[in-house]
Amino acid sequence: MVAHRGVVCQRGGGGRILCMSVVRPIAVLTLVLAFACAANADDSLQWSGFALLRGASSVDAGPLRQEQLSTQVQLGLDWLHSPVLGAHVHLLARDDNGHSKASRRGTLGVAEAYVEMNLTPGSDRVRLRGGAMFLPTSRENIDALWENPYTITSSALNSWLGEELRPIGIDASWFRRGLFAGTTVFRGNDTFGALPAARGWSLDDHWTLLGERVPVDPDYVTSVSAENDDRLGWSARGGWNGPHLLVQLTHIDNRSDGREYGELFNWGTDFDIVAVEYTVNDWTIAAESGWGPTFLIVDQKYTDDLRASYLLVSRAWSRSRASLRFDDFAVDDDGQQAWTFAYLWTPVSKLRVGAEVATTGGERRVLVELRYRFSAQ
Amino acid sequence: MLRTLVSAALLLAAPIASAATLAVTVRNARGAPVRDAVVYAIPEGREVGPANQTAVMDQKNRTFIPHVLPIQAGTAVKFPNSDDIRHQVYSFSSAKTFQLPLYTGTPANAIVFDKPGVVALGCNIHDRMTAYIVVVPTPHFATTDKSGRLTLASLSAGKYALQLWHADQRSDPAPLPVTLTSGEQKQIELVAR
Repeated sequence: MVAHRGVVCQRGGGGRILCMSVVRPIAVLTLVLAFACAANADDSLQWSGFALLRGASSVDAGPLRQEQLSTQVQLGLDWLHSPVLGAHVHLLARDDNGHSKASRRGTLGVAEAYVEMNLTPGSDRVRLRGGAMFLPTSRENIDALWENPYTITSSALNSWLGEELRPIGIDASWFRRGLFAGTTVFRGNDTFGALPAARGWSLDDHWTLLGERVPVDPDYVTSVSAENDDRLGWSARGGWNGPHLLVQLTHIDNRSDGREYGELFNWGTDFDIVAVEYTVNDWTIAAESGWGPTFLIVDQKYTDDLRASYLLVSRAWSRSRASLRFDDFAVDDDGQQAWTFAYLWTPVSKLRVGAEVATTGGERRVLVELRYRFSAQ
Repeated sequence: MLRTLVSAALLLAAPIASAATLAVTVRNARGAPVRDAVVYAIPEGREVGPANQTAVMDQKNRTFIPHVLPIQAGTAVKFPNSDDIRHQVYSFSSAKTFQLPLYTGTPANAIVFDKPGVVALGCNIHDRMTAYIVVVPTPHFATTDKSGRLTLASLSAGKYALQLWHADQRSDPAPLPVTLTSGEQKQIELVAR
């Protein structure tokens, strides 16, 4: 093992040199410890999160690719100065071989970090966020830390958004009596579109960290932090929600130039999503459908049409939940369907035991998971 | 002995016998019944004792239950989370500004609402969740059902200022003076604007 300027390298299998920056994990751990100490003395500082241990039947490639054994720890740090002003940091540590090119022996870093301001002009509510954040549109990943309460892994659509889209900029939301609208102007995300177009869709929960480089193929990577062309992207959304029904439209345009920048390839992606959610008693029916073109210019312009939809039906009981999801996803005319069934059981308040079976294209993946929640409560 | 028992029974029965009842129907300007409207009667010239009660605003299926919770000022409200996901309840309202941290289960401490007014609730994780706590300066209040009806029972004889609130009203309507006699059963129809 050698160390140089904050980077530790060690020889891995097949003589491959594996390197990992130690500066970021140490900085993150220091931040967490400082926050935990401060939180004990101040009610305005809160922390909560979860740790999971997951086992999967072996699937090496395709939409169901998954580590046989993996762990994750996710931690949310919240500063609640008042209902008007707050800040949120979402830290994530994971042990997974093969997803991240920067660190094949595990990753620790920041998934989200933003400052939030809430205003109440009249009977309206306006929320401003500045920083790096998940787009608040998913009808699946509805829990804090973008957690999915329905299934262990998310749909192809939201797996992609979690892995390759993390607006870094300003988001404004407006709410009035069931009507809502929002817009985001962001940097980064120049490579948004590379994963479904070049690597293929996946059913996963691999939320990329800021600065992380995710392999697309042996020659290039994608990163939510990639800002190569200095062109701002934007997103807009709007909709209505009643006591049981929600309807939402979203448009995303990363305004990328589609050019090649070393091992980062800009993909220019224009994507629309329509979402419907119906909740009654303990039943939830949620559906999202997204479509749009993405292009890349290497010698000539290549354009792909991306399409991903899902329909989810879920039933909750006092200590358990069962969910069935149908996925349909495609690049151009190359389409695929998947079925996912998950059963999640909470025997005691902080522990969740889950099992999930997913099938697509003759492949089957079985996941079992233990998830432990913790908080400052 | 028998005389004493009869006297005691008469004394106990007296307030019940003299209690008046107010049946209220709330309709909108088009005549349709208004659900979840709050009507409360403020006694005139009589002191109202402080509330020493606890109420519950539950959260289930990403919905506050009930959508409208009227309480007397001074009431403590618990905010259990019956979902399998976390909620972060807040209010910006001047009647009570507060926020609870992310939580599941039931927070240890209830929140006391000691100032009359309307408290609009939200969840910072789930923007679709909204509800109202209507804090009133009287123990005489109720919420309309889906047919727009409610009943204020056990009212003692005297003068009251009848007040209406509902979520879609544009301004606070002027209070309606009502006089009740002992044992009276009065019916009133209010129009919500």
